[in-house]
Amino acid sequence: MTHESVLPVRPWTVAVVKPLAELDDAELVSATIGGSREAFDVIVVRHRRAVYQVCYRFVNNHEDASDLAQDAFVRAWRGMKNFKGESALATWLYRIAVNVCLNRVSAKAVTTEPLESTEHVADVRAEGAQHAMIREERAAAVRKAIAELPNKQRATLILRAYHDMSHQQIADVLGSSVGAVKANFFHALANLKKNLGSEP
Amino acid sequence: MTHLTPDELIDAMEGLLAADRQGHLATCEKCQAQLAGLSLTLSEVQQTSIPEPSSLFWHHFSERVGAAIGQDAASGTNWPSWLGWQILVPLGAVALVILGLMVTVPKPEVRDASVAPLAPQALDNWAMVTELVGDIDLDVASAAGVIEPGVAEEAVLQLTAEEQQELTRLLKAELQRAKS
Repeated sequence: MTHESVLPVRPWTVAVVKPLAELDDAELVSATIGGSREAFDVIVVRHRRAVYQVCYRFVNNHEDASDLAQDAFVRAWRGMKNFKGESALATWLYRIAVNVCLNRVSAKAVTTEPLESTEHVADVRAEGAQHAMIREERAAAVRKAIAELPNKQRATLILRAYHDMSHQQIADVLGSSVGAVKANFFHALANLKKNLGSEP
Repeated sequence: MTHLTPDELIDAMEGLLAADRQGHLATCEKCQAQLAGLSLTLSEVQQTSIPEPSSLFWHHFSERVGAAIGQDAASGTNWPSWLGWQILVPLGAVALVILGLMVTVPKPEVRDASVAPLAPQALDNWAMVTELVGDIDLDVASAAGVIEPGVAEEAVLQLTAEEQQELTRLLKAELQRAKS
């Protein structure tokens, strides 16, 4: 089913109706504020993977990440009228997701998935099964080590390393200075290096 | 020369180290080793993927978000969406002014006993106004320039006839509820 845009138009203008999926983020935000739930559904579809990944990196387990990502989108829906478009929609959603994660992890201890329970599809025909298993164990160790970093270090590392946000953008998200972001990034990497050992 | 600070090491890792500090980095083995260690760790972090949920999960996820939003809307206030704080704050402010005038303006001394029952009515009005603007900090609203002379009247005039009727209905209902 294809939803069509319901952008509010003045009666004397000619409405150019595009399928919602073809609208850019700004148009979808405008339609959402205008009352279109379908437009917000498209926003969810477009950004759900990235928001989920932010949450997963934070808590290192699927169940919590799924709940947190859902919570982030509900909050985004509630606060959409406050989105001024000063940053990209993705950045704004990351900010909400990070805040949801920070609130959650401070409220309860994070349960990370055991290393052996992590499912990962590896192409065992392309590389030896043993090599794939070692690589996946290492990846699980890295994810666990990230999830155990102090909150600000973890948020900084996730946004910088995986979502390519600038130091200034991260500072805006976390409500801190660029200097503090750089310091957190440095300490996050230093802690990981210490906890993981230098050999990948 | 002093070793690179954490900030400078991050700048160096991202190719943004100031020219005058690059000279030190070029000759300092300790800073070079620290930089290499950080870069290697970052590289490994960036190569670490997370387990990808199934396509079925994404379908369910969108449905869950939709259901949660629907539940959120259903459990929210019954007030119409147009009756937000932009309307309630000025109305509340006007009501407070009227109430203040009712209480403070001296009335001619009339020995009529019917004057006395005004006090409970004023209390009823006060209860209604308090409920309407309960969570709103009027000082903040005033400082933000929300409450200005004529704003409430202007806000009400901007409502459609249907919205004005609805507002009237709600205010009457609140009055009835406060009295009962």
